[in-house]
Amino acid sequence: MTALTCRFIKLADGLLRGAPVTVCRAGAALQSRAPVIQCIRTHRTNTWWDEHLTEDNPWPRHEWVEGSRRVGLVAVKLGMMPVWTKSGERHVVTMLQVQDCHVVKHLSKEEYEGHTAALIVGGKNVSPFHRPEGYLEVFRNAGVPPKQKLTTFCVSDNAIIKPGTPLYAAHFRPGQYVDVTAKTIGKGFQGVMKRWGFKGQPASHGQTKTHRRPGSLGPGGDPAKVFKGKKMPGRMGNIYDTTHGLKVWRVNTKYNILYVNGSVPGHRNCLVKVRDSILPTRLENNKNPPFPTFFADGDEEIPEDLYDQDMFQFGEPMAE
Amino acid sequence: MFLVHTPLSNMAACTSRVREMMGLLRILRHFPQNERLLSTSILRHAAASDGPPKFTPPTKPVIIDKTQKEASLRRFLSPEFIPPRQRTNPVKFSVERKDMIQRRKVLNIPEFYVGSILAVAMTDPHVNGNLNRFVGICIQRSGKGLGATFILRNVVDGQGVEICYELYNPRMRKIEVLKLEKRLDDNLMYLRDALPEYSSFNFDMQPVHYEITGDVPVSPLKVKMKPKPWSKRWERPKFNIKGIRFDLCLTLEMMEHAQKWAEPWRPYDMLKEYDTFSLEEQIFKEVQGKSQNVNSP
Repeated sequence: MTALTCRFIKLADGLLRGAPVTVCRAGAALQSRAPVIQCIRTHRTNTWWDEHLTEDNPWPRHEWVEGSRRVGLVAVKLGMMPVWTKSGERHVVTMLQVQDCHVVKHLSKEEYEGHTAALIVGGKNVSPFHRPEGYLEVFRNAGVPPKQKLTTFCVSDNAIIKPGTPLYAAHFRPGQYVDVTAKTIGKGFQGVMKRWGFKGQPASHGQTKTHRRPGSLGPGGDPAKVFKGKKMPGRMGNIYDTTHGLKVWRVNTKYNILYVNGSVPGHRNCLVKVRDSILPTRLENNKNPPFPTFFADGDEEIPEDLYDQDMFQFGEPMAE
Repeated sequence: MFLVHTPLSNMAACTSRVREMMGLLRILRHFPQNERLLSTSILRHAAASDGPPKFTPPTKPVIIDKTQKEASLRRFLSPEFIPPRQRTNPVKFSVERKDMIQRRKVLNIPEFYVGSILAVAMTDPHVNGNLNRFVGICIQRSGKGLGATFILRNVVDGQGVEICYELYNPRMRKIEVLKLEKRLDDNLMYLRDALPEYSSFNFDMQPVHYEITGDVPVSPLKVKMKPKPWSKRWERPKFNIKGIRFDLCLTLEMMEHAQKWAEPWRPYDMLKEYDTFSLEEQIFKEVQGKSQNVNSP
């Protein structure tokens, strides 16, 4: 079984690196629209270039315009570490690693039944076994290994990307602001003090068996009922939550790690959805991003580490 | 004039040869200009004239650079490099370690332990001369990775002062070890309840010379405490303190009463086992290989 997985992943790697690859899988033949690449390319190529160069190219690359929305990424939360500015202030950052992020599907405005087009993006690679066939079919059509998490990003029409394109951490640049969405840590069934922040009752002075209870449930005879949505004990956590307006301090292009200010919902090694911030006060910082995304094959040469202007870089000789 | 110096290999044990040399020497001394041709080796051979003359190479000039401290030859890995026992991706630790090594290339962070006396200089915008210097005994080293800290304690004008410094803070200018030594414990927080003489150190203290090889000296000092109540119940076995003179401040009954909180199963708790041997080796190689910094690794 492991041999099969190896071959399957090798196929993906082959598609990614353009090396000669044999397509074989036990059972059904691989029905992939992606052509089997026969030639060995000298540089790393990750998408099918021919389509970009033709004239009626369905996936053209546009320039960034104000008001356009571009894709986001799916990343893995690694951990946190301190960061210092050039003036000596200390901030904490969360490290988010972009592991095997690919665009998996494109939904046009009509398909998505919204006002914008949508792109489905997948995160971290997982094994194709123990997964339903319908789930795997989406990835087979895109020519991409199956992913652990799929999210949808609402995207303006000039920012659509061909399914199968890999997305990298350099999609975001230091100084930008992002919103991070993830499932919060599940706390189980929790009482009203932890779940909603109620004050409870005093510990002493005659309180009989009442220290952490909700107290009154509402007004009396007139409604003669408890309103819907009353805050009560129940299951806490394990729901999607978004933290808005987090600054990107640093981008490591070698390991694809984003250093994002502050904390992010979710436990370590959980998958998070990162996208450009929608806060109106942060729109200025998000101008002129790599649009529609950062392409690794492009001519743009970027260094291994991209730092924000204010951030203190450790190689610098004791700056201040 | 032919050169009198003969190659070493030909100088087998033959005193006759030496006698010839002596004769030659006597002749050549009459000609002052030929004295230049007399090589030092021949003179030496003439002087020794006992068995085969041994080649003694000239003494190499030993350059003692007094401006820089000698590099410690002890195999020491700073404790903040060892990652905690967590389910974290090792990529996170390796990327953090790269940053730490980069910082160590610029600032020399010497080897020190809890119980050593350090002098730390930080840049401070609110100080006249811009540098804020503090001398104290290290009572605790905590934190892993870039957030590693150490606490220095001293008594200034009768007031006990503890300052927590971050090792990798960019405002840190200089960390100097005035006296390198270890104590009987890993954590000297009990100095807060000890007599102030044990925490007071002179700010103008001169660095004490310490060996760069061999074991770090362990001071067997046992500290006298102020009367109870203390900030923590130091006599309890969970703190496992060996550096306090309990016989002077506690009775036998109190010591036995404290043993009620003993947890004798703790050393056998398998879930707390954390074998860092192989990790340490690998990290030590990484740190040594990459750090060619100012003074010492």
